[in-house]
Amino acid sequence: MGLEQHFPALIIAILFGIAFFSPLLYRWARKISAPALITALTLALAMSISLLIQVTQGGNITYYLGGWPPPWGVELKIDLLRVYMLIIVLAVSTWIMIYALKDLEHELKTEMLGWYYSLYALLVGSMAGITLTNDLFNLFVLMEICAISACAIISIKEDRACLEASFKYLILSAMGTGCFLLGVAMIYMVTGHLNYDLVSEALPKAVELYPNNMFAAAALFIVAFGTKSALFPLHVWLPDAHASAPSPSSAMLSGVVIKIYAFALFIMFYQIFPRTLLDSIPLNEIVLWLASMGIMFGSIFAMVQVDLKKMLAYSSIGQIGYVFLGIGLDDSMAMAGGFYHLLVHAIMKSMLFMAAGVIIYSTGIRQIKQLGGIGQVLPVTMLAFTIGSASMIGLPGTGGLISKWYLALGALDIGRPIFVVIILASSLLNAVYYMPIIVNAFMQQEEFEHEAKPVPRQMLIPLIVGMAAIIFFGVFSRPVIVLLESAMQMFF
Amino acid sequence: MTLEDQIVRITSRLVVPFIQVYGIYIILHGHLSPGGGFSGGAIFGSSLVLVALSFNLEVGAKQISHDTSSILESGGALGFILTGLVAVVLGGNFLSNQAAGFPMGEAGELFSAGAIFIITTFLGIKVASTIITLFYNIIEEEDKSGASH
Repeated sequence: MGLEQHFPALIIAILFGIAFFSPLLYRWARKISAPALITALTLALAMSISLLIQVTQGGNITYYLGGWPPPWGVELKIDLLRVYMLIIVLAVSTWIMIYALKDLEHELKTEMLGWYYSLYALLVGSMAGITLTNDLFNLFVLMEICAISACAIISIKEDRACLEASFKYLILSAMGTGCFLLGVAMIYMVTGHLNYDLVSEALPKAVELYPNNMFAAAALFIVAFGTKSALFPLHVWLPDAHASAPSPSSAMLSGVVIKIYAFALFIMFYQIFPRTLLDSIPLNEIVLWLASMGIMFGSIFAMVQVDLKKMLAYSSIGQIGYVFLGIGLDDSMAMAGGFYHLLVHAIMKSMLFMAAGVIIYSTGIRQIKQLGGIGQVLPVTMLAFTIGSASMIGLPGTGGLISKWYLALGALDIGRPIFVVIILASSLLNAVYYMPIIVNAFMQQEEFEHEAKPVPRQMLIPLIVGMAAIIFFGVFSRPVIVLLESAMQMFF
Repeated sequence: MTLEDQIVRITSRLVVPFIQVYGIYIILHGHLSPGGGFSGGAIFGSSLVLVALSFNLEVGAKQISHDTSSILESGGALGFILTGLVAVVLGGNFLSNQAAGFPMGEAGELFSAGAIFIITTFLGIKVASTIITLFYNIIEEEDKSGASH
């Protein structure tokens, strides 16, 4: 037995370690603090890929922290779906950080950079923890770390809009975690366990004895995770928070952070709650209709925005709806589609926010109507924006099509064609607000009238990587779908 | 700063050493009696905040400066993680205690309970310095925005 068996704990330890180390590094050895963070993230990514190989070869892995087995200790568990989420979190955050190194110098005060690295590592570490943990209270603690560091990477910019937005986010997400804690308390009251597996063993009996308790817990979980991941009527904090934050933070928050809670809700629904509970109250119906409303209204709100980043933020509300649609449809194909969308949206929304960041870095423009003709001065950036938008709309050859395809197949599979209509209509709505930007950027006859700074190569390479990834996942979708389908077999 | 309150100063000068000893006692006895790193660290940290409040910021900074406290803050947390990693090196799981071969000592003695003793000590350092750093941060922010202290 080598070091590999400790990888689940080491991934989290290395990320939290670098989080506490980078303020020191920034104080004493400023030059190596950014490379150290990138190294730590890459190392964690390498370990997560090794975990994927271990899981595909030898089945699920459990890890007891401190060597204490479940009823006493905290357990980490790695199955296919979790390792899939873990790889998305680590890969996307490493990719965003490479872009962020140059962009942050321009957006933040120099003395804040060390703290930003620290908060970023804390955020990634807590999300890695959320994907791996198998303990409800541990999940609560990690959600709090995640929420606080997410607020901090918004407010670190220290202007009025950021502070206001992050305060709103802090309050609402604290209410979300409060709801979650209350739900956990209700589950603990009737089962006496916090470990996922033990809870799910004890719950079928508990649901018979105390049905109201469990209904309340389920409702609290929907509210908690809905608030955190901006499910439609609980989305109010998202547009301001994601639009005013520094661009790398926006990419991180919109790309990864909101999805981790959708994943957590999925785990609650299909791994912890017994089927009888899901059948006795229309939990899935509620999630489905909220998701559908989110898909429609997110796009409609996005249409009327004048600020580029705000438009992207509203678009996230619509796109997270697809993930919830996958969770709500209760069909393995739709769920595979939902989780595929989680991957694709993580890439394309991060890339769109990065492109917006490049536009702001180079020209200082945030207004959509001033973007006419910008394709002449920033061709690579606008090409990335075009590919990202195409994937948002779901054009063939991009990852966005694949996920919508599987979602639609899943909806037809269980005989709910209405959701196919919603998916189609929302694709049209996406086209309505993304296409004009692209058309204006490339087709306008007049010269672009604003000054444009040259963009460093370090900011453009991540965009090119993103474009390649979107097209790759649009063309070679089979391996990931196969992985997801075998991951879903656990739940059916 | 015009308030020259002798009573507050003399009282706090008398009380601070006792608070600090009590804080250290709570930290070191975390594995034996109620308390531990968090509560002990909070008591110890508040003693230094009391110095800064009853005298002024310069006197407080002479005890422990903002820089030192924020270095200690990172160091305490790193120590926690390193203790966990030492367990991995020794052959146990992350954060294992007896299983990894930390010396257990005699139950009820001060130096017992292996890694728990080390971890509460680091935790105490971390919490105490966090309280001081938070206090300095708030004060300095007030200074910057022009409010008097």
